[in-house]
Amino acid sequence: MFIRPFDYERAEHLADACDLLRAHGEAAKVIAGGQSLMALVNLGLAQPEVVIDISRAAGYRDCVAADGYLTVGALTTHARLASDPVAARCQPLLGAAAGQIGNARVRSRGTLGGSLAHSDPAAELPLVMVALGASYELTDGRQTRVARAEEFHLGFLTTQLADDELITAVSVPVLGPGWGWGFEEFSRRDGDFALAAAAVLVRIADGIIVESRVAVGAVGDRPVRLADVEISLSGAAPADAAARVGPLRGIRPVGDAGASADYRAHLCRVLVTRAIAQASARSLEAA
Amino acid sequence: MTATITTTLTVNGRQICKAAPAHLSLLRWLRDVAGVTDPKYGCGEGICGSCTVLLDGEPVSSCLVLAAQADGAAITTASGLLEPDGSLGRLQRAFHVTHAAQCGYCTPGMLMAAAAALAGSQRLSRQEIRARLHGNLCRCTGYGPIVDAIELAQDEAADDRGK
Repeated sequence: MFIRPFDYERAEHLADACDLLRAHGEAAKVIAGGQSLMALVNLGLAQPEVVIDISRAAGYRDCVAADGYLTVGALTTHARLASDPVAARCQPLLGAAAGQIGNARVRSRGTLGGSLAHSDPAAELPLVMVALGASYELTDGRQTRVARAEEFHLGFLTTQLADDELITAVSVPVLGPGWGWGFEEFSRRDGDFALAAAAVLVRIADGIIVESRVAVGAVGDRPVRLADVEISLSGAAPADAAARVGPLRGIRPVGDAGASADYRAHLCRVLVTRAIAQASARSLEAA
Repeated sequence: MTATITTTLTVNGRQICKAAPAHLSLLRWLRDVAGVTDPKYGCGEGICGSCTVLLDGEPVSSCLVLAAQADGAAITTASGLLEPDGSLGRLQRAFHVTHAAQCGYCTPGMLMAAAAALAGSQRLSRQEIRARLHGNLCRCTGYGPIVDAIELAQDEAADDRGK
């Protein structure tokens, strides 16, 4: 752990952090919970010259529901998201996914904005954001803009964030009447990054699936929605749903030390069918 | 810009104020600056748990937090579990009784994960205790005696409350 020394800047406001990012350029990295950045620093994979600490900035920690959307501040920790009553009532998929992240220590410190900006393809939160069609609010300290989750995550640790931008909040649609959700991931040990993961939302009416959203993670360079699976589910009875999920065409799994590409593809299909079953059961309960 | 920063932490009830290089993790600050050597460096990635401390009561990997980020916080390490007279605390005694330490490297982290797990009011099953230890690796004991120890400490605490 002989890491390269760096300077430290504490930003009291996110706008100050954006100014610091402009001043220092690529030499700077932002730290919030530090659960991704510090690991990279300790391993020598990141060697920032300046670390800008936003963990003490006021605000950006609320879960608020209004006008059909749940908005969560970017500095909300995973532990808070996993236990927040408003989030649990309005969009339970978020808390279920946040509760699966890493271990209790990661969840104590790690933040929503940090996980999304880090954009690890195996991370839980980018996956559920893609499944939910989330919008991310971004700021450079002078202007704000909105990015769609499906477009924000460009690839492995790569996003649409400009060098001087931060995520301030995330909005997801409130779980609508009759919708059910499912979340499944598989890792060799609890707390490891998932080898494959699936997030599913379905709405059942008159005994058949009428709408669905299906997304998978950890099987490519970013989480993706599986439009062909969503189409094949349309009109299916929940009991027939698994049979309708053919080989997944929308994914490009990568083989690595954790699992071969074929195994990941197999896992992914199994997890998608399980998540569909979970979501269907919850949709039927909700009806 | 700050290459050196003064950080004040209350470590096991004792306030410590030290200037140190700003890039030091909480773990290195505790060990190399404050001389509190209970937490150990293991993986540097937040996986192994040997550096676990309580930061304002929450378990954290001290290798993944900058000391500067923790300024003003209360930190508890394994020494903080001792009785006021310096004898072993309940959890430490239980680890001793059940032979829950072998090489001992993971033990300070295990103790803090256990302290965090037992801080709640609900009684934990063996399965729940094991779940709370996800993220703390032991390469010697096979975990059985560690779970025994935490169960024993939990039972003793319940007996005390019943008295």
